[in-house]
Amino acid sequence: MEKSLFDKYGGFSTVSKIVLTLYDRLLEDDDVGPFFDDVDLSRLIDHQTKFVSSLMGGPASFTDDHIERAHRGMQIEDHQFDRLKEIVAEVLTDFEVDAPDIETIVGAFEARREILIEKPNVN
Amino acid sequence: MSIEAINEQLLRAIGVGVALVDLSDLSFSFRNDTFNEWFGDPDPTARLTELFPDLDSQTLQSEMLDDGRMTTEASFKLRRRTMTVALEFSRAQNAHENIAVLVCQNITRIKELESMIDSYSMMVERNTHEIKREKEQVEKLLLNMMPRAAYEEYKTFGVVAPRLFDPVSVLALDFIQFDAQLTQHEPGVIVSELNDIYSAFDRIGAQFACQRIRTNGDSYVAVSGVPDPNQDHAMAVANSGVRFLRYLARRNDSHPIKWVARIGVASGSVIGSVVGIQNYIYDVFGPTVGAALHHRSLADEMTMATDATFAEIVAEKFGALPSDDGTHVLMRDLAENA
Repeated sequence: MEKSLFDKYGGFSTVSKIVLTLYDRLLEDDDVGPFFDDVDLSRLIDHQTKFVSSLMGGPASFTDDHIERAHRGMQIEDHQFDRLKEIVAEVLTDFEVDAPDIETIVGAFEARREILIEKPNVN
Repeated sequence: MSIEAINEQLLRAIGVGVALVDLSDLSFSFRNDTFNEWFGDPDPTARLTELFPDLDSQTLQSEMLDDGRMTTEASFKLRRRTMTVALEFSRAQNAHENIAVLVCQNITRIKELESMIDSYSMMVERNTHEIKREKEQVEKLLLNMMPRAAYEEYKTFGVVAPRLFDPVSVLALDFIQFDAQLTQHEPGVIVSELNDIYSAFDRIGAQFACQRIRTNGDSYVAVSGVPDPNQDHAMAVANSGVRFLRYLARRNDSHPIKWVARIGVASGSVIGSVVGIQNYIYDVFGPTVGAALHHRSLADEMTMATDATFAEIVAEKFGALPSDDGTHVLMRDLAENA
């Protein structure tokens, strides 16, 4: 069986560092950061741990329904989503994740663009 | 530079927030740079309780009087980040000065890690639970395909060594006019009926230490003495067989689809093993299985047939009626007629 990215990059010990770094960078960023202004710390960490673990094939089943619910009403715009992807790619590069694997993980983010970005013109 | 000035510079330089609190009015007489970074520039009128709204000033005062020490935690927002600091108040040793030293350790990272470990351990727990449930399902399926002892052997060694079991008894049952039933009823109905009947047979067999080995369409084969030896193997299959027929007769009285069975039983030796690599099936084979199948083919409707040797073993409870050509005997339950 093919090893998941979660296992390939050292399991929770690495994922926890990735999540904390991602958390730092997202909060510092002026495009993406404001979305976290009023979010409770433990909820945000919980969300990111599950999400990153799940994208890397770790022990989390994170459905698109969960993601949709967690981001409902946030009015995320395309440029903010693009910035999020950039930050994720930067963090993964810093953790020496191979380029094809970064593409896979960022691709998994991209696949959720539709459910994260509200489309006021639809319906 | 005076000692006081050096001390003050040292306090300013360290990575923990330090402040001196005047206990009479809870104002600050000193705050180091780290403290100011977290709580904003010093305001001479600021009070401790304004920076830490959750701090109970009365408790603080009484703790300062009693022990001269108090520790607690406080959270606040620094830009977007929720910061958590551990607060430690220590009353100044000098009795005529009513001041406390407040040391704030930044434990934000620890709190974040705690949240993450909580979240992760919950995921792992859920995963472990799911894996356990899946394992139980697989175990249940495998136990349907092989006896527990064979399963345990398979689990430990990855194989089940073929073994000769001797003596054992084998029961083989099938339904007369099965093909006609298939053409008269929907496949779903037939499967549901067989499921019902075979489940009942399994329950009856379990009562008499007689275990189903396989079903193949309308062929139901059970055995007693495999893998655990059973001295009363012949009685076990004879008792099971009689009750299978009784169960069917009663069921036919109240069900629209009537099932007419025949049974063959025989004693002797069998080889038991898991057969197949991709599709595991525990099976028994050998002349005794062949004999049971042969007797079954000679049995009349709703009867059980065997040979003279088997009939002799169970003679005390079951009467035997030799066939006209002497090839087999039909058995009946004496207790039932008594």
